[in-house]
Amino acid sequence: MASIIASAPSALHPRAAAFTEEARQIERRIGLLFAATGVVLILLMGVLGLIMRLTQATVIDLSPAWFYRLMTLHGMGMITGALIAAMGALWYVLHESVPLRAGHMLASYTLTVSGAVGVLVATLVGGFGAGWTFLPPLSFFPAGQWPTWSESVFFVGMLMVGSGFFVYCIDVLRQTTSTYGGLTGALGWRFLRGREPEAPPAPVIAATVIAFDGLLAMSAGMTIGLGLLGRTYDSRVGFDLLASKNLVYFFGHTIANLLIYLAAGAVYVLLPRYAGRAYEVTKVFVAGWGVALVLILTVYSHHLYMDFVQPRWAEITSEISSYASALPVAVITIYSMTMLVWGSRYRWTLASTLLYLGLVGWAIGGTGAVIDSIIPFNFRLHNTVWVVAHFHTYLMLTVVVWLLAFIAHVLERDAGETSSKTARIWTMALLLVGGFGLTGTWFVEGTLGIPRRYAIQPPGTVGYSLVGSIFAMVFALGVLACVTQLVLLGQTAWGRRHYVLVDHMDSWTGSHYQARVARADGERTAVEAAPWAPGDVPLASPGQLCIGAAACVVALASFFPQVVKASETSIRYHHLDHAGHFFLGLMFGLVIGSLPAVSRQLGDRSALGLATVIVAPAGMMLVMVPRFYEPLERHPFEHSLYHLAMAAFGLVAGLAASRLGRVGGRMSAFLSVGMVLLFAAAMKGG
Amino acid sequence: MSLHYGHPQIAIGLVFAVLAFLLATVFVVIAVQAGSDVGFERVHAVGYWLRKRWLALLLVVGVFVVGISLFDLPYASGGPSGRTVVKVTGGQFFWSLQPGSVPAGTRVRFDVTAVDVNHGFGLYDAHGHLIGSVQAMPGYHNKLDLTLSQAGVYRIRCLEFCGLNHSVMQSTFTVTRG
Repeated sequence: MASIIASAPSALHPRAAAFTEEARQIERRIGLLFAATGVVLILLMGVLGLIMRLTQATVIDLSPAWFYRLMTLHGMGMITGALIAAMGALWYVLHESVPLRAGHMLASYTLTVSGAVGVLVATLVGGFGAGWTFLPPLSFFPAGQWPTWSESVFFVGMLMVGSGFFVYCIDVLRQTTSTYGGLTGALGWRFLRGREPEAPPAPVIAATVIAFDGLLAMSAGMTIGLGLLGRTYDSRVGFDLLASKNLVYFFGHTIANLLIYLAAGAVYVLLPRYAGRAYEVTKVFVAGWGVALVLILTVYSHHLYMDFVQPRWAEITSEISSYASALPVAVITIYSMTMLVWGSRYRWTLASTLLYLGLVGWAIGGTGAVIDSIIPFNFRLHNTVWVVAHFHTYLMLTVVVWLLAFIAHVLERDAGETSSKTARIWTMALLLVGGFGLTGTWFVEGTLGIPRRYAIQPPGTVGYSLVGSIFAMVFALGVLACVTQLVLLGQTAWGRRHYVLVDHMDSWTGSHYQARVARADGERTAVEAAPWAPGDVPLASPGQLCIGAAACVVALASFFPQVVKASETSIRYHHLDHAGHFFLGLMFGLVIGSLPAVSRQLGDRSALGLATVIVAPAGMMLVMVPRFYEPLERHPFEHSLYHLAMAAFGLVAGLAASRLGRVGGRMSAFLSVGMVLLFAAAMKGG
Repeated sequence: MSLHYGHPQIAIGLVFAVLAFLLATVFVVIAVQAGSDVGFERVHAVGYWLRKRWLALLLVVGVFVVGISLFDLPYASGGPSGRTVVKVTGGQFFWSLQPGSVPAGTRVRFDVTAVDVNHGFGLYDAHGHLIGSVQAMPGYHNKLDLTLSQAGVYRIRCLEFCGLNHSVMQSTFTVTRG
């Protein structure tokens, strides 16, 4: 006779059972699919990084052409890999409380991975090497290194990655806002104002901020990406380089920044499970994320400090924002995590140690970034390897280790155990010494003024690259050790997929032993999405419909012959007029699609709506390439039809946006118009 | 107020090293303490008390550092009167400076632009120290004011990735003895 006395020791803290849900199969599968894909991509890109460092150290003899191909792939691949993995990690924890849709997630996966393949082809086969930030117009000055098709493939790839993240963000935003009472509810602002007794869970607030800012950033990126794609087809497409630079860095900086926040959103749930203390969402937390919502968007201009023609107010705002954006991180996120850990009898496992290490990387790397964001300091550090140092500190030693921690967490829970203490200690030692050694070398080089992105290092500085390469190899060993433990944990988890271990006591002899007990068939019930309602539209009330109709009437002005004629004086004004046509169509589509009778007829076509709301503005922008519209300008009637086509693109986008719910629809409509306006601002040729 | 004494980068590096060391020490202490058993109420009470002071400290440091920095912005203002204008043009993969030399002590205004893609005008003094940088962008003129008091051959390196020969895009600028 035997009796069960307890579950076998779990990898989690014993107190965590009070606030930890059993993960559902869909959460594990989606989470692991995304994280594993992302980490594989990160590992491959890491190898490229090592090759580049060894080239700088003159250990490997790689031509500058190949160096810059690899550099471009390394940058874009790392961002994409980390993005995919972090999206999966956040989805895993968010799905507990928000009815996210697996179909949308898989569409996002397909787009992102396909985009990554495009970038791979463009760089390795096509030889494209303009850097992942593709600062216009560098792509079109290849110095004989890459053909036009590789530019097209790169930008199509980049746009697909952007579309993948766009789909993710729209679904997250739509579901968090519909589950938690609109945008203000999902951001916790109703709780902050005392209108709700409880705040949404921490990952919900984080995910809503990330989705909101991510959509804005991706829209800017897709706008400039579409312009550049148009330029590959017609060399008369021109750019205002300052406006383009703003778009590129608004997109690039914000996305790189959001990688940390995506991962942090998951860490709010994961780390407490090892500390045995639930993460408490306070009003300070909500306020901090509210501040972050704005600051994440305003800091990017520090990349343009040395563009003295950038408006002074933008530079100063960016400096203040850059410092201020560190405050919620330092005072709320990292600080509260350390409060959870302090005196908690923290359970040190592979996952939890990596989670803790990530906090260290964020704090130290963030400090280096804040220093670089002070304008007089940046004057002496701009585009030196100091920049490489600080972003590698929080990408390698925070984002990457948190993504590894996420996989470890899922596998540890399924395996019911973690890796050996010796293996963990060695892994952490290798990661710490290698990681901080590598970035430390860059910090030293930065103070010496060594420029970044040099295939050939300045004379007398090759030694630093050699030391850096050695540290990079130590870090690579640490990652390898970590991956090996993940594989072993994965094998154990797979072997135990049908049973769990429980502690038994033999009632005759009193001896303890562990026995296999079949896993329960039932799963935690998923959070159900509210059934689709015809009234869940962007313009729900008669007043809102009237405002939409009024906007249509105002936008009609863009068709007035006087306005059209006046706009012909400059490309920008003409594009602005096209934006007016698009806006008219979009508002008309929104109004029509929001009418109850029409909404019922159209039904819940969110997937189609999402695809259309991305494709329609993209199509509208691409047909503004001269080679497309010039044949139509020969006859006034054809030209009028062309303008009507702009409104038609808007109409389709508006109808599509009306299928994306109140917040999702308004946001996507706003972004569509924003994209065509930004396009008008950034393009001056064609 | 000016921050132009010594080699600022070294001072910046040292400040960062000290801050990084302090942060690392704090994380080691927390990791060691993580194994102990302290009631969460106690952690709450002390942690929130400390957090207010931590925020206040960061705010004071921020206001101080950002405030001082605003008095030392590198942006040129006003006309070029009293300054020698040096026209700088960057292109794949060359620098053109007109004139190519000035006497020591000259107040110089570098008028920087580019003919093809973005470049970065990074000026290194005769000892190889990076004095400062400004972007060279087609269609725009960025103006950098500096007083070059030390004679010697200054070096210009490209500080914005501009393509295949970015790392060898260099030139010199001579400051002669006054």
